[in-house]
Parts: sequence; C-alpha cells; structure tokens
Amino acid sequence: MATLQEPPARPLEHPVLGEERIRELMTFLRRARDERLVEVPVARVVGAVDKVARRLLDSGDPLRRAALGELGPQAGLSDAMAEIILDRMAFDWTKERLLRLLESEFPDPLVLDGFRRGAMGGSLRALGFPLTFHLGAGTVPGVSVTSLVRALLVKSSVLLKPGRGDVVLPVVFARGLEEEDPVLSESVAVLYWPGAGGAPGEVALRGADLVVAYGGDDTVRWVRQRLPAATPLRAYRHRLGVGLLGRAALGGEAGSSAAAAARAVAVFDQRGCVSPHVLFVEEGGETDPVRWAALLARAFRDLEVSLPSGPLPPEQGAALQQLRGWAEMEEGAGRGVVHHGGGEAPWTVVFQPHGELEPTCLARTVRVIPVGDLHEAVAAMEGWRPYLQTVGVAGLGEREEELAESLARLGVSRMAPLDAVPWPPPWWHHDGDGPLRALVRWTDVEPEG
Amino acid sequence: MSFPELREELLALFARGVAEPLPEVVFNGLALRVFRFQCRENAPYRGFVARRGTDPDAVARWQDIPFLPTRAFKAAPLVSGDPAAVQRVFRTSGTTGGREARGEHHVLDLALYQASLLPNLQAHLLPEGGPMPILCLLPSPEEAPDSSLSFMMGEAVRVFGVEGLGDPTENGSAPPVGEPQGPLGGGGFFVDSNGGIQVRPFREALGGAVAGREAVLLAGTAFAFVQWLELAGKGGWEVSLPEGSRIMETGGYKGRTRALTREDLYRGLGEAFGVPAQRIVSEYGMTELLSQFYEPNLAEGADGSGQWAEAVAGRFHGGPPWVRTRILDPLTLGEMPEGEPGLLAHMDLANLGSVSGILTEDLGRRVPGGFQLVGRREGAEPRGCSLAMEDFLGPPGEGP
Repeated sequence: MATLQEPPARPLEHPVLGEERIRELMTFLRRARDERLVEVPVARVVGAVDKVARRLLDSGDPLRRAALGELGPQAGLSDAMAEIILDRMAFDWTKERLLRLLESEFPDPLVLDGFRRGAMGGSLRALGFPLTFHLGAGTVPGVSVTSLVRALLVKSSVLLKPGRGDVVLPVVFARGLEEEDPVLSESVAVLYWPGAGGAPGEVALRGADLVVAYGGDDTVRWVRQRLPAATPLRAYRHRLGVGLLGRAALGGEAGSSAAAAARAVAVFDQRGCVSPHVLFVEEGGETDPVRWAALLARAFRDLEVSLPSGPLPPEQGAALQQLRGWAEMEEGAGRGVVHHGGGEAPWTVVFQPHGELEPTCLARTVRVIPVGDLHEAVAAMEGWRPYLQTVGVAGLGEREEELAESLARLGVSRMAPLDAVPWPPPWWHHDGDGPLRALVRWTDVEPEG
Repeated sequence: MSFPELREELLALFARGVAEPLPEVVFNGLALRVFRFQCRENAPYRGFVARRGTDPDAVARWQDIPFLPTRAFKAAPLVSGDPAAVQRVFRTSGTTGGREARGEHHVLDLALYQASLLPNLQAHLLPEGGPMPILCLLPSPEEAPDSSLSFMMGEAVRVFGVEGLGDPTENGSAPPVGEPQGPLGGGGFFVDSNGGIQVRPFREALGGAVAGREAVLLAGTAFAFVQWLELAGKGGWEVSLPEGSRIMETGGYKGRTRALTREDLYRGLGEAFGVPAQRIVSEYGMTELLSQFYEPNLAEGADGSGQWAEAVAGRFHGGPPWVRTRILDPLTLGEMPEGEPGLLAHMDLANLGSVSGILTEDLGRRVPGGFQLVGRREGAEPRGCSLAMEDFLGPPGEGP
C-alpha cells in the first residue's frame, strides 16, 4: 500500500552494513533458497507463517507484546490504531486466509511444489524468483510483512528494507519465524538504512532477481533508473482513494454511512493507498450532502476517542492549517462549509460544491463534494486514471453493476463497501494484479506427440 | 483610526530605520490598532476572525490575533479599505498542476511597501550606505508587474543604484530600471518573463563589473542561481567579482529543480562569482508580506574568513522592528517552547492595507535575534496538499 508521507517516527537504531556485507548477505539468501527453500512444501510455509501470526494475535505471547510496545511510537500512530492494525494484518497471515489466497491465485496451489498436470494437457510449474528485494514505503505498518509472506509462499528469498515507520513488524516477524522454522527464516533478511535508496539500495537492486517497490512516483522512478534491464519490477505506487455515496446511503442510514466513511479515512491516519481523500455524495437523498458532511464531522470527533490520531507531523500540520484557513475563507464567501477538530485533533471535513478531485493533506482531512448523480463523480475521476485503485461505496443500490463497469473501464482495481475499504483481503488484486501470480515464473512442459 | 492616520504613523516609524528596537508595548499598541482597523475594513478577514471566536475589541495582546493562513489569499481579495483604490496586485507563483488559483496580495499603498523594504534592504545588503550597481537574476518589474520581488529589487535599483541615493520614502516615478547609466548603470534585470536567463547581457554585466573594479550587489532566486551555476560550469564563465561584492539569495526552488543544500549552493556561488559565503545573505520574503527578513551576516560585518559550512551553520533571519514573529504548534497554534520548531507566523504592520497577521507554511525555530528556517526532517518529504499533488504529477527529482 504505497502512501504519501513518512510518519513522525521515533529515532531508530540500526546496524550499518557496508556494501560488501550486503552482497555477502544476498549470496547467502540466494543459496538458502536454491538449496533449501525451494524444497520446502508450500504447506510448510503456510504453517510456519500461521504460527507466527497466531503468536502475534495472542495477547499472552511475548512476541505480540514486543510488537505492540514499539509499533505505535515507531510508526507515529496511536496505540489503539497500532493494535487494530496488528490484529487485522496478522489475521491475514493465518493459515485459513493464506490457503484462500493460494486457492484464489492458483487453481492447483501445488504447482508451487512441483509439476502438475495443466488444463490444456502437459504439465506446468510456478516458482518465484530466487532472490527478491522488497523496498517498503513505511507509511502503513504490516505492509512489508505481507510482501515478505507473499514471496515466501512462492519460494523466493527475501531481502526486505522496510520504510521508517514499518520497521517493527518485519523485525518481530522475522524473529518469530526464526523461532518457529529456522530453515525457512534463513531465506529472510530485514535491513534498514535511512531513505529509500542510497548506496545500499543500489547494491540490492543490482543483485536481486525481482524487485518489489512501494512508494511515491519519485521512489519508483529512482528504482527504475537503477534497475538492470533483465530484472522485473513490481511497483506499488501512490494511489488516490475515492468514496462514492449514493442516495440510498443517505436515508435513515446516513449516520452509519458517515461513520463508515470516517473510519475508512481515519484508519492508518489516511496514509494507506486505500484511504479516501475525496467523498462524492449524491444530492436528492433524504440527507443532503452538506448535512451528511456534518454527520461525517461528528463521526470523526467520535473516532478521536475510540481510534485517536497519532502525533501530527509538522509538515502535515503546516499544510493542514493552510487548508483550514482557506476553507474558512471559502465558507465566509458562501462557497462551502468546513468542520474541523481545532487544536484538539487534525481531522478536517471540507464540504466543497464544485470541488475537484485532488489529494488532501492526510491526517484525516477529506473533501466532500456534492454531485447530482454519481456518474459525475466517475467523470471527475477521469483525469486521475493512473492513480486510481480503491473506490469505497455505499448506497449504490441497483446501479452497483453499472458503476462497477464504468470504474473498471477507468482502471479502478477495487470497489468495496466503505467499512471494508481499509482492509483488502489477502487475495485482492493489488493494484490490479494477482498478489502471488505477479511474483512467479511459469514453466510449461508440453506433451510429446 | 483611519487608513491615512495609521499610514502616517507607520511611515514615520519605518523612516526611523531598522537599527532602533521598538519596545514591545509600543508594537503591541500599534499592532492592535492595525488589527482592529483591518477587522473593521476587511470583511473576509473579519469573517475569519469571527469564525475563530475572537472579538477584535477584546484582544489585548498582538499574539492573540488570529493569524490568517497565506493560502487564504487564494480565496478572496483581502483589502482593508476601498478595493477600487488598490494600486497593485502581486501574485504568488502558480502551482505545478495549475488547478488552484494563485494567491493575490492587493496592495492599497505602494508607499508603505517602499518605506518598509528600503531601509531594511539597505541595512542588510548595503550597510555602507550605497550606492552600488545591482544586478538581478530576476525579471524586471516591467516584465513581471505582479512580482513583489521584482518590484522590491526595482526599488532597490532605483534608489541605491549607482545613480545615487534617493529618499527611501519618496514615492516618485521610478526611472526605467535596467537602462545603462554608466559602465554598469544602476543595475539591471537578467531574467525574462518566462524565467529564462538572458545569458549574454548577464555575462556582459558581470564582465563590466570585473573590468570596472567596483563592487556590485548580485540578487536573485536560488532557482535562478542554480540555473546559472549549471550554465557557468559548462561554459567556463566563472568570474571573480570585485572586492566588496555581495549576493542576496532568496528561496524558491523547492520542487522545481534538483535539490541543492545551502552549503553546496553557496560553494557554487563562491566559485561562479568569487563572493565568499560570508558575503552571501539569504533573504526570506513572500508575496503576502510587504516586509522582509534577512540574515545579519553582512550587516554585522563579516570578515570573509572561515569555512564554508561554518559560514552557513548557525545563521538566522531577522525582521525589521515593525514585524514580530511567532513560532506555533502545528496543531494547537499555541506558542512552541523556545528553540523547538513550529509554524512561522508574522505580524507585519506594513501590511496595513491587507492583513497583518499571517500564518505561513514554513517551519522554523526561535533563536536570539530572530528565527532559523527548519529544513525537512531526514527522510521526510515536504508534502502539503499542493506538494502532495506535485508528487502525484511527477516533478523532476533526484529520487529519494
């Protein structure tokens, strides 16, 4: 889940590995994969990951306590937020979820263990690249562990460099894996250095067989410029989340659709690629959009109790104050309404007739734009095609199929109910691609005669 | 209080120059009168103040004035007086995406701008008094009538150019700037309206300065200087400007070209122009403010020795006596503890005709004598709303 801004992380202590050591490490990881990981059945990978996940979900386990002790402060999130993220992420690393992921990606998941008969005759096998380098964004904790797990499932060794705000979970996960399955853990290394790239990043890019990069356009550009021509890249870039609220969600349900929308924005303090920045609300329902914006504001206020904001990074605060001041002037001029948490909390709702689809300042700032019909919202998304991914919806009624078709044609890769928006299932088509299929190479053996 | 009364009072204050500190109680009294005047005359600002729950008559300390975010200049004309009497509209530079309107500073009375900028500029860039040829890597005021920076340097050339010292508060018609008035003239402007450097005229002016052996003031944006460093490096056009020459550098290249640290920029300027870092002064100003902030290194008589890095480290910006700066918590807008970084907010009395209390998007920390602008945290990227959008739109960059 590529996102916009590094959180205000606590200072980090980490060993500094020279380029030579990183090369040695990569040699070791490649050998571990070729000599051992490739022989490990996928079921054993699922089992080992599941054991670690269950420990992370067990309130009595020291692994969970170690994770929670550092997660919030390190990521710049409130403890309540850190806990809910750990619970949801670790749940997706459990056996049941991983098996469904495998089934969703491969009609016969055993193609990951050896040749299997293909539907067209002959046989086929799927295998991940020997050594994968994962460059995390650091804005949403847990994302880099998910990336690591995906690679292990397809029998790839992993060199992971998480972003600054996502260091705790990969380290704790790797420690847990070492305890549960030492052989498997030999195929995993987690390293940290400041910034996305730099000299260590260049060494890793040159030595990897496949690169998975999360980050902004500038990061992806940086990676592309340095990547050897033969090395494939799976890039998960910035995305602009959008919400669509149809009239049917604006009746007696208006309060609950506002609560769901607020939560979709608030989870990860809006740093997720799935997090909505703009909510298009249809006119003509029982609750008009300006009234709905007030309900949304109330929902944000309530969330500050159950799911408080993390500390506000000064750069975000600077932008936030500008947004608020501008929106207050707009309100004064009769062009919209703004609600915000004042000096108590950063959440800000800008109701903006004729507003445009644009990214906001994060930290729970959202635009509410009224539309006569949701098709206007789809038209407004046209200019943002390369950045579309998740569209959260409520109250579409019978128009769901028709709107889904319009969104698919725009390149939207996920339409989900607002309350599901923060938590795509493990088998989602991440940025439009199969999460495991994007990591494997197939080998076909065609039948003789 | 009426506009003419406050104007006269402020012009008299500005005429006293920047050396004499203004007692807090005097500043406070004047600031409150200006604030109340603005609330009375400026409906959009009055609305903002009311929305922030402030009763103008109940405010007793200037610190309690609601500071208006600069972006509000994009929402409405902010005139404290008759909009028909506006003499000039200065505009902020456009955003990359061009989706958002440019900020507009409607200036009722250019005399206040002139009276504020000239003594401050003289004290920090021409402490010997002047005159001195002034070469500007900027578009001329004629080419860029809506640039407050071009206006400012046009005034500087008019008043402090070699033609001799004029009356800093004089509001006469300026002679055409950039016209030759001697070997170098009063100075000149060497960037055209679309941002390109006029290479040949600028090289000739530099050559003239070297040949004439008279010190010059070279002024420009960091963005233009970076462009010039690249050109000069390729063309082998480095010069050594005469002893006593100095450079004014002002911000404004964030996100537009490759990032250069200040140390690297100043080292480059030293190589390209032969001016040591101690004689390079950073100016910090913005379209929304009619007063400016300068580093005091030249005013305090730098001796030209020392290491480059040392010359930059520890520097700070200070404003004239008619401006006070607050450092605010990014969420609560309360005062930050001494030395901790926060949002810069300025109370600039020269903004009498618009809004004086301005909240910027810049981060800084208070130090004795002024404030230090704070760069981004290591590994963090400056991404406000518009910057986030620049990132979406893919500006040129060197990567992380």
